[in-house]
Amino acid sequence: MTSSLPFADLFQVPWNEYASNLGIGLVRTLGYTVASFIGATVLGLGLALMRLNHLRVVRVPAALYTEIFKNVPLLAIIFLTYFGLPSVGVKLNVFVAGVLSLVLFYAAYLSEIFRAAIAGIHPGQNEAAHALGLGRGTTFGHVVLPQALRLALPGTNTMFVDLIKSTSLLVTISAAELMTEAQLIASETFRALEVYLVIAAIYFAVCYPVSQCLLWLERSIQAGVPLSLGRRRRLGLARALLESGV
Amino acid sequence: MALETLGSTRNKKTADAQPAVRISGLRKSFDGRLVFGGIDLDVPVGRIVSIIGQSGGGKTTLMRCVNLLERPDGGSIAIGDETIFADGGVTCRDLAKLRQRVGMVFQRFNLFPHLTAVENVVLAQMHAAAIGEREAVERAVRLLTRVGLARRAMAYPERMSGGEQQRVAIARALALGPTVLLFDEPTSALDPESTGEVLRVMRELAKDGMTMILVTHELPFAREVSDWVVFIDGGRIIEQGAAADVLDRPREARTAAYVARYAAPA
Repeated sequence: MTSSLPFADLFQVPWNEYASNLGIGLVRTLGYTVASFIGATVLGLGLALMRLNHLRVVRVPAALYTEIFKNVPLLAIIFLTYFGLPSVGVKLNVFVAGVLSLVLFYAAYLSEIFRAAIAGIHPGQNEAAHALGLGRGTTFGHVVLPQALRLALPGTNTMFVDLIKSTSLLVTISAAELMTEAQLIASETFRALEVYLVIAAIYFAVCYPVSQCLLWLERSIQAGVPLSLGRRRRLGLARALLESGV
Repeated sequence: MALETLGSTRNKKTADAQPAVRISGLRKSFDGRLVFGGIDLDVPVGRIVSIIGQSGGGKTTLMRCVNLLERPDGGSIAIGDETIFADGGVTCRDLAKLRQRVGMVFQRFNLFPHLTAVENVVLAQMHAAAIGEREAVERAVRLLTRVGLARRAMAYPERMSGGEQQRVAIARALALGPTVLLFDEPTSALDPESTGEVLRVMRELAKDGMTMILVTHELPFAREVSDWVVFIDGGRIIEQGAAADVLDRPREARTAAYVARYAAPA
């Protein structure tokens, strides 16, 4: 019996039967995201520091890397690592291949963001730190990096949300993440519109709160809210001393 | 250490007292262009020396050599009884220790903008001098109180006036217990009121016997704050002497021309 309302029979997939598949897919998606983001951040920071090095032999390979991976589609990188590498004897499991592809791709973008942020720190900051007897490592860790993080945060946040969505490309190598689960459900139920609408809604329900949280973090840091426990403790100590009139 | 400093301050007129800073035959070039050469300068303990001269005349570079932010090409520098640089090489064992003994204040303050005033004063104490957290915070609060900024201790630099920022910078430099303070044009980014604030702090320090070297363009400020003036031109010391002598009765024609130009309202 067909209804006169066009959307009345839109939702016919027995979603409660697929709930656990979707749950597992979502957890995998978040796993890919977190692992790739950590890897891309570490590699991106390394590349950024290489590109700011005064030695050409250090700068050039990093610049070359960035240009290559910025100008190649992510899908091509995924296919190369998963389908291409086995023919030269490198057989990666799907999780490693997926994470590696995302790391390689996003590190290029993050390195650009980090490089601009670090280069944006006034040279007087380094000079003041050195004049206070702080070594190179301490200066970087306590003076340059915290300021660079503030500058890099907006761009990095955008990339993080972009990365969540890009994990869906891993459907092409059957990575068993959310989009792969969606494809399976769609092929079982033949209800592509319904399935992909629900999946799109799930991606939105993840990405939107994440980006809002990151925005809140950005604003808090910009407003000078101390986030580290050490800073809170020191400021508390100072406040107590000031109030007791030492 | 502090008593010793005060003691030698009283004897600062005696010629054989160990100078706080001794510069001999110092030479520096950038890309083959001589910045200065053959500079000899002794700064006795407790003296406040202004280095004046044309822009690009090497005054700032000379001062930056004293804490080795800049490496000279030749000559020697001693801080107290330690030779830190001799004949083209750094001879001090520990650069961090040297910089604890020689504090520096910059023209643009260079405070750490991501930290509050009190944290600016704490940072190097904990990470360069290995002072414990509680003691570092206590000392920071004490120093900020001393420069009249106790109520601004929790503020970020961007919320402070130039004069306040420069006073935080002075507290930051003092936190490591230096015997010598270097000031690189400390008031040229400040309005007259802020200049007055910085001047008051420097006078306080002078009373305690702190040795200070400053580079400045502002001759009234040099006259107010210093007791010795060194005029540098063309990479050489042209004239030096008591502030009043050099600024009011210069012996050299080049000094006279410079003083006449900079003393006149711009």
